[in-house]
Amino acid sequence: MLRTSYSQILNSSRDFSTAICHADGRLVAQAEHVPIHVGALPWAAQAVLNRFQDGIRPGDVFLMNDPYHGNNHLPDVTAFVPVFTGNVLRCWSINRSHQSDIGGATHGGYNPGATEIWQEGIRIPPVRLYEAGVRRDDLLHMISTNVRHARDFEGDLAAMIGSARLGESRLLALLEEYGPETAIQGVESVLDAAERRTRANIASWRDGVYRGEAVIDDDGHGARDIHIRAKVTKRGSDLTVDLTASDPQVTGFINSSYANMRSAVAMALAYLIDPDTPKNDGTFRPITVIAREGTVVWAKPPAPVTLCTNHCAQEIGEAIIKALAPACGDRAMAGWGRRFRIAIQGRNPNTGRQFIWHLFHARPGGGASSAGDGWPAAGEWQAAGGIKFGSVEVMEARFPLFFRRHEFRPDSGGDGQYRGGTGSILELVMETTEPALANTAGDGARHGACGMTGGSDGAPHHYRLLSGRRKRVLRTKETGVRVQPGDVFLVESGGGGGWGDPARRLPEARRADVENGFTTAKGARKRVSGRR
Amino acid sequence: MYRVGVDVGGTFTDVVAVDGAGVVTIAKAASTPADPSVGVIDGLGLLAASLDLDLAAFLRATDWIVHGTTVATNALLERKGAKVALLTTEGHRDVLEMREGLKDDRYNLRMAAPEPLVPRARRIGIRERTRADGRIAVPLENASLHRALDGLRRDGVESVAVCYLHSYRNPRHERLTRTAVERALPGVYVSLSSEVLPQIKEYERVSTTVVNASVGPVLGRYLDRLGDRLAQAGFRGAVLIMQSHGGIVRIDQAIRLAAGAVLSGPAGGVSAARHCGRLSRLPNLIAFDMGGTSTDISLITGGEPQYARERGVGGHRVSLPSLDIASIGAGGGSIAHVDGGGILRVGPASAGADPGPACYGRGGVHATVTDANLALGYLDGARFLGGRTPLSLAAAHRAVDAIAQQLGCGSLHAAAGIQQVVNTQMAEGIRLVSVRRGVDPRRFSLLAFGGAAGIHITDVARRLEMRRVLVPRLASVLSAWGMLTTDLRYEVVQTHVTDATSGKKASAAVLRRLLARMEREGRKQLSKAFRGSIGVHRALDMRYGEQIFEITVSLDGLDLAAADLMDRVVDRFHRRHEELYTYSVPGQEVVLVNARVAVVGELPKLPGESRTIRDSGPQRPRPIGKRRIYVDRWLQAPVFDIDSLGPGQTVAGPAIVESATTTVLLRPGDSATVNEFGWLDIGVGLR
Repeated sequence: MLRTSYSQILNSSRDFSTAICHADGRLVAQAEHVPIHVGALPWAAQAVLNRFQDGIRPGDVFLMNDPYHGNNHLPDVTAFVPVFTGNVLRCWSINRSHQSDIGGATHGGYNPGATEIWQEGIRIPPVRLYEAGVRRDDLLHMISTNVRHARDFEGDLAAMIGSARLGESRLLALLEEYGPETAIQGVESVLDAAERRTRANIASWRDGVYRGEAVIDDDGHGARDIHIRAKVTKRGSDLTVDLTASDPQVTGFINSSYANMRSAVAMALAYLIDPDTPKNDGTFRPITVIAREGTVVWAKPPAPVTLCTNHCAQEIGEAIIKALAPACGDRAMAGWGRRFRIAIQGRNPNTGRQFIWHLFHARPGGGASSAGDGWPAAGEWQAAGGIKFGSVEVMEARFPLFFRRHEFRPDSGGDGQYRGGTGSILELVMETTEPALANTAGDGARHGACGMTGGSDGAPHHYRLLSGRRKRVLRTKETGVRVQPGDVFLVESGGGGGWGDPARRLPEARRADVENGFTTAKGARKRVSGRR
Repeated sequence: MYRVGVDVGGTFTDVVAVDGAGVVTIAKAASTPADPSVGVIDGLGLLAASLDLDLAAFLRATDWIVHGTTVATNALLERKGAKVALLTTEGHRDVLEMREGLKDDRYNLRMAAPEPLVPRARRIGIRERTRADGRIAVPLENASLHRALDGLRRDGVESVAVCYLHSYRNPRHERLTRTAVERALPGVYVSLSSEVLPQIKEYERVSTTVVNASVGPVLGRYLDRLGDRLAQAGFRGAVLIMQSHGGIVRIDQAIRLAAGAVLSGPAGGVSAARHCGRLSRLPNLIAFDMGGTSTDISLITGGEPQYARERGVGGHRVSLPSLDIASIGAGGGSIAHVDGGGILRVGPASAGADPGPACYGRGGVHATVTDANLALGYLDGARFLGGRTPLSLAAAHRAVDAIAQQLGCGSLHAAAGIQQVVNTQMAEGIRLVSVRRGVDPRRFSLLAFGGAAGIHITDVARRLEMRRVLVPRLASVLSAWGMLTTDLRYEVVQTHVTDATSGKKASAAVLRRLLARMEREGRKQLSKAFRGSIGVHRALDMRYGEQIFEITVSLDGLDLAAADLMDRVVDRFHRRHEELYTYSVPGQEVVLVNARVAVVGELPKLPGESRTIRDSGPQRPRPIGKRRIYVDRWLQAPVFDIDSLGPGQTVAGPAIVESATTTVLLRPGDSATVNEFGWLDIGVGLR
């Protein structure tokens, strides 16, 4: 998928997942780059099963993206290849990939202005794209007509289905070698083993009822400081996560779909248990989730939800991890930077073609943990280092962009016994010859990544657009930003949260920070004098 | 006239000489980690003695020496490389440490961020800038460069890596910088990214260049010393260095592209395995090379080794083509210990060559795998290394007893436990390269070599349900022998971005010229050390217009003069894409990104190493003695000398087959037949 896809968001930034589900939809294995994709696919598989019941045949391929039909959000298009031996459906080979554009009112898949899901893009409920091996070209054409770059969309879709088919042929070889019954029995043992392992982990934490909350800057439509609240009950090897006290749903696109909320909870658990535990249906059996439809974590249609895989997914995770920190302090890592994306649409003077470019560079810092300082420029919590920003050289060769500066941002990591990872600075010059259009989508320009167990928060984002002599601060949720040839984006992304009491940071670690410019001399003085 | 292979491991230095008739002579000397060239000369001395020559006469009669070395690898793994500074484009000094924003394991929060080989304070931005199309946006500013160089002089930097953006397209600024560095800091080792890896994608390029800068001076010092010592001893031929990609190059080339030698050590073993597979007509082998410090495992499928386009060594990205080899930190010298949870563990710490296992009696006190093997009766203390290094059973017992006390069990159980733990780790290592990559090891045969493999191998095979194990007679020095089965190889790569589906006639002409120029360059380099038949392999890295990852399309067998060259090339690309990814998109634009030319100087092929094996007289093999060994219980096992066994003879386990340099343990249920080359072909009794 990585090697064959067309769009920058897939081949440079790896915003996709592949998975195998049981015939009944349960997750068996997932090759994920992006943790927030974990645990979301079974809901999608379930939706396809419900829609098509017994009408699934060898050679069929299904497609869907609608969050009110089991998907997480519209840009993540999901393709399903059923795997048969004879006439028996054995499992599913699935690919979910984030599209560069999904239609709707704005380019690039994110519409901060949306107040209803129809403004966010084309909605695809579960549909049959291939019928017994034959592609329904009319249907494909209907969909690709509704996105901005039909050629790229079709190229990416070919890569998605190619990768799912490759999964199918390897699964068939496995099923044939061991016999389908034996192989599927093996699957059950694998799931049970993951459950046992997770339970053993959870059982080692302190029993109790814990509470945590996280706050989103705004929804772009007037709501500020939106709260996500988690009450987590830990008893023996069971966890109950109750999100019902979270704020009611809002106008803008930070609301979560149901599937995304479930995967945010799964992601939080995955960050707390032993890292090499497989992530499958068994892993998540010890968790019970209680939530209420109509809250920001589970919106009622037709609320917009596109930002949810970043925000509020990240805050759902944050609330749960904060809640459980007293139960298992060494496992609770500090917050990673929030997402703040820019999507630019314009014409490339070198090729004459339209382009859409997504900002994946200037990653924010990773959260510190009991293991040490946070990873610098490693991204956001819902990806935790799983999304790559891609080569600057490749970007400059393919887009009318000039990366004047792309380096660490000093003084951005939250202080602590272990310091949050630094964010980044990007100075990006537009080498277009005619005006282009930009959108932003994200959060965290007021609330930085959270510190944990005594550590401080990381610095929040600070993005500006320099047009001639005019400099203005970019908000996290804007549409229709005019970008003139020669304009410069000055991007300073947030740092990760710190972990543990700053007073316990070793003097030699502080010295090295200054020597290497992770903190400036001025910043260092502030840190030391600011200590209790 | 001799050809000599030299394999310096962590514990032993193995040397092999092959004469014009293919007759093989071997020797093993203790490695000398402080200066490995001492051990090399020791080994060559022993080899000369077995040939009844003095060292000078032997070296005068030697045409060339092929050498695999772990000097570069160890410098990287142990972070003992040179003190490096990086000069890079201003505003982009963190590419190395940003690692493209990736963290290998998202869920492992206890994984600290890796320390870059060059700390931020020594990564210096230089005012300059080249554009993606090769034009200069900001000319190289001398003041900025000289400020940086003054700082480096004060800092006492030994090595300088230079990596500017888009230098693969226009290397001018990097070359100017080299001139300035050489003038300001004479004697400092300089690596230019446009020479180490002239390829688009700055992270891969900067990381590979920094690795080169880090290991280059260390490798250079060592190889210079070795060259001097050999010259003093009378050697006048060429020394050729094993490369990670399995080819060999001259010393000066090896020093210049030191990052290409980070897998120099284990590469010889892969070449040997490939050759053994051909000789024994077994196309599917798992090569298992167990030495004193580590075990290297690789796959031969369809007769060919697997390659990787890039790999991480000690967490550092090296984007040069290399053999795909997995190393695990466990070998005969690995030290056993009991961890905080009371669990027995083996490795990764090793007793190495000095002091070596406790039973060597050179001051080692920790129990190693070798000590356990001696205590279990698998090794003959008196006969070890032909009796040159007798082993102390008492010292082995003392060391193993200490482990037994911590575990609260008997000494014998502790020794058997060490054996079991290390065998489990080995089996796990094999699973990593097979099962994890969708390959069923049960369809493969195991080729066991390296001094320590023979004792462990049938138990490891049994754990994986592998039924067949081959142990070559030269098992203990097989990697050194394998180095003599390789060819001289010089690789040239050049980024050359072209649309292959438009302006085809012009692009075909440009491509022909480019390939011819690269071939000339390769031939020129090769001809410095080689006269003989030369083969040329050409390939192109290609992709569809909007993709960013290329696939390598071989041009072998394609008529470069064909008028419709580009169509044929594009056609091969579509087919390869379909093979790899189940589909192709005919009619889409196809882009050519890199051209690759490998110029190969073919060396005379080695015959099987069995020329000296005579048909042995008696049909039933006669043991040379008996030994008490412990396999679940004490057993009496006959001991055979491998040199007395002839083709067709069979030995059933429990038994021990020994030579001066290795020991093979046949467990109950195992049965070994001697093949035409004198190797043991073992059927493993599966329970």
